[in-house]
Amino acid sequence: MGEPMDAQKTTKRLKANTALREIIAEFYTDGHRAKAEGRPVGWIPPMNGLIELFYAMDIHPIFPENWAPVCAAIGTNRQNFAACAGHGYADDLCGYFRNNVGYALDGIDAPDQPLGGLPKPDFLISFGAGCIPTMKTFQVLCDHFDCPVIRADLPQVAMEDIGEHHLRYGVAQIKRLIAFLEDLTGRRLDLDRLSQAVAWTDEACRLWDEIMALRAAVPAPFSAAEIGIMFVMVTRHGTPIAVDFLRDVLAEVKERVARGVGVVPDERLRLFWDNIPLWYNMKLFNYFEKWNAVVVAETYTSAWTLRMDPAKPLESIAYKSLVSYPLVSCVSLEKRLELIRKAIREYRIDGAILHSNRSCKPISMGQLDIQRMLNDELGVPAVLFDGDHMDGDKFAFAPFQTRIDAFIEMLLERRASAHAPNP
Amino acid sequence: MWSIRNVTAGGLSTTIREEQAVAGCRRRRETAWDGVAWRDAVANHPDLLKAEKARSRRTLLGTLCAHTPVEIFHAFDIVPVRLWGAGADPGGADPLLQSFICPPVRQIMAMGLAGRYDFLDGLVHAYSCDAACGLFNIWRRNLHPKFAFQLSLPYMDTPEALAYAQVEFRRLIAALETLTDRAYEPERLRAAIGLYREARALLRRAYAHKRQDGGPSYADLYRLSLALQVFPVETVLPWLTAFDAAADGPAVAGDAGTTRLMISGSLCADEALFTEIAALGGNIVLDDTCIGYRTLLGEAAPEGDPLTALARHHLARPPCSARADFPARRAYFREQIEAFRVEAVVFIHQKFCDPHLADHPFLKTVLEERGIPSLQVELEGEGLTGQIRTRLEGFFEMIGKNRP
Ligand code: SF4
Ligand code: SF4
Repeated sequence: MGEPMDAQKTTKRLKANTALREIIAEFYTDGHRAKAEGRPVGWIPPMNGLIELFYAMDIHPIFPENWAPVCAAIGTNRQNFAACAGHGYADDLCGYFRNNVGYALDGIDAPDQPLGGLPKPDFLISFGAGCIPTMKTFQVLCDHFDCPVIRADLPQVAMEDIGEHHLRYGVAQIKRLIAFLEDLTGRRLDLDRLSQAVAWTDEACRLWDEIMALRAAVPAPFSAAEIGIMFVMVTRHGTPIAVDFLRDVLAEVKERVARGVGVVPDERLRLFWDNIPLWYNMKLFNYFEKWNAVVVAETYTSAWTLRMDPAKPLESIAYKSLVSYPLVSCVSLEKRLELIRKAIREYRIDGAILHSNRSCKPISMGQLDIQRMLNDELGVPAVLFDGDHMDGDKFAFAPFQTRIDAFIEMLLERRASAHAPNP
Repeated sequence: MWSIRNVTAGGLSTTIREEQAVAGCRRRRETAWDGVAWRDAVANHPDLLKAEKARSRRTLLGTLCAHTPVEIFHAFDIVPVRLWGAGADPGGADPLLQSFICPPVRQIMAMGLAGRYDFLDGLVHAYSCDAACGLFNIWRRNLHPKFAFQLSLPYMDTPEALAYAQVEFRRLIAALETLTDRAYEPERLRAAIGLYREARALLRRAYAHKRQDGGPSYADLYRLSLALQVFPVETVLPWLTAFDAAADGPAVAGDAGTTRLMISGSLCADEALFTEIAALGGNIVLDDTCIGYRTLLGEAAPEGDPLTALARHHLARPPCSARADFPARRAYFREQIEAFRVEAVVFIHQKFCDPHLADHPFLKTVLEERGIPSLQVELEGEGLTGQIRTRLEGFFEMIGKNRP
């Protein structure tokens, strides 16, 4: 684990966090309730359009990738890693893979698990999209759990290359999945319910964009430390839960902006964050506060910058499945650079922190290009540090501190000289 | 959305056009490797390809995955050149890639940055793993190739997948039409399919000798597989024919080892490893790698629409770690191990290679079920190290002791 922080704890957390804690607990409780009531539980990878389908068919989704940060925050990630290694898996694999495989193979039957643990899957999808570690996680799960499995496939294409045939193929896959689920549940999919679920997701995405846009305000109303609100975008798309929660967040953030309330009293530097946070050390985002610096935008939160059309529910969920992963990974490097350029301008960024994440090759590849683009093209300094989003043993605080301290001092000097009166 | 120019057969009958196409494809032409012995040509292929480019201005495209439809390139008179890093120092990629990316990808990038692949006109990737995908994009951004194309092929054998694969191929064809300024001709594709069928069949035959005791040395099989991936097929065919004619004869050196061995991993491209294994008593009879036997299995049908035949061939291709699931890999492993009477397996993995590292414990179980011992070695871009040598020695010692 990294060293403890000496920065003050921020007192400017969003009130919405209280509601969020309940939403998180309820999501897992609902999973166990589903199991008890005989509603099917399906484990799926995040950021695809299957969640809308699940909710429209009364299937409870479980996202191993969302479970991993929970384990990291609570500290059970270490025992899951050890279990995974015990099954012969390499330490160089993604921390999500190591946590989730270790948990599914061993941890799931252990007592006293965080949030009551995960309900076991009633069926699984062995799918061919997203990154290799996610694909492989599901292959391990399919091999391990004794439940029905459907195999699915999805093109992996850069956003700018997505054509009609990619979408058509995606829709064909979703139709196969629907047939499988209808067979499994003995019930037919109600397309109106699916349209409604898609409409809720679309509204959640719209609200999300509006909330994120408010972070352009100076001072920024909230920092990356609030990234937890993303939970509803992962687990409660396709439901009014996400929409209601985000409406409250929007109202709270709007009010903060109107009153000029920022994360720190005297905001001096606005920072950008690239790659996944260190889930076991979210306090790291507060480290910058000692210089009155705030992380006001991230690449990670843009994965939901998409719109869906309730009139075309199948196409919408196929589209969501096709774009979500490329948008944040190296599949669409040019799109990602475009997104960052835009964020730098809109959020008036002074400097960027790039987390070179040993676990996640697809998101980390291209970061040296990002760094160069920021420095050379936009004149925005960017610093890269080595870390890992799941494994604290692969993150050393001291080098981070040395690097970041020097970086921030440099930013402050730049700022001072830019604001200095002409001689 | 994508269109393919409609090419009609004109006044000639298809058969005649086809014969002309085949003859055209096979035509002997002068090349930079004329007179070079095939083993030397394979070893020096980057230099020879560079010389060929300077001499003939032929279009050469780099490829990153075995699932690239090489026949389509051949139909446009393009030479597809498989890249795999060829032992370069991965550190050369530091300005663009972190150290936790697999060595082959870093090596390819290092070679690209050092100008070793300047003879290429571009890069084509058939989507496989995350690292290769990142490499493709970073290469494109930094080396500005004239041509860059990524195919995303399906890997399920369903009617929708077949339709989808054909559109992906047509998309590639449209891009190649623009690059070469020549129209797609189905006859030429059919001819290319025929040539690759012939070459793969000959090479499969060479491997088939290994099913029995004896047969050629694995290093030669490896070199021939490689030849087919870096030289034009019409160049490799005569080499294969000659090799086939001599395959079981005294002129072909075999491996002396007695333990029938399979190597498995992504890119096992280090001849020193093969030599070491042979010296320790291993007889590599089969490989399960991205540049070996798997690339030879399955065939595109010679008749019917060539694009459909090629798409079918790709859907039925043998399962690789990056894209296939466990049941498919299990079945493939069992089948090949039986066919080649494999007694031990050495997993030669590249460090940080997610697909193969994630499959390893599972495949080990498949082997354990049949009592087949295995060893895993990890390559870090330095080839055969003292540590790997020690591990191999220990493994062969253990096998030796356990022999009845
Ligand atoms: S963190 Fe990266 S490598 Fe790991 S599962 Fe997510 S996208 Fe894949
Ligand atoms: S399959 Fe493995 S070795 Fe090959 S490019 Fe991908 S990660 Fe690297």
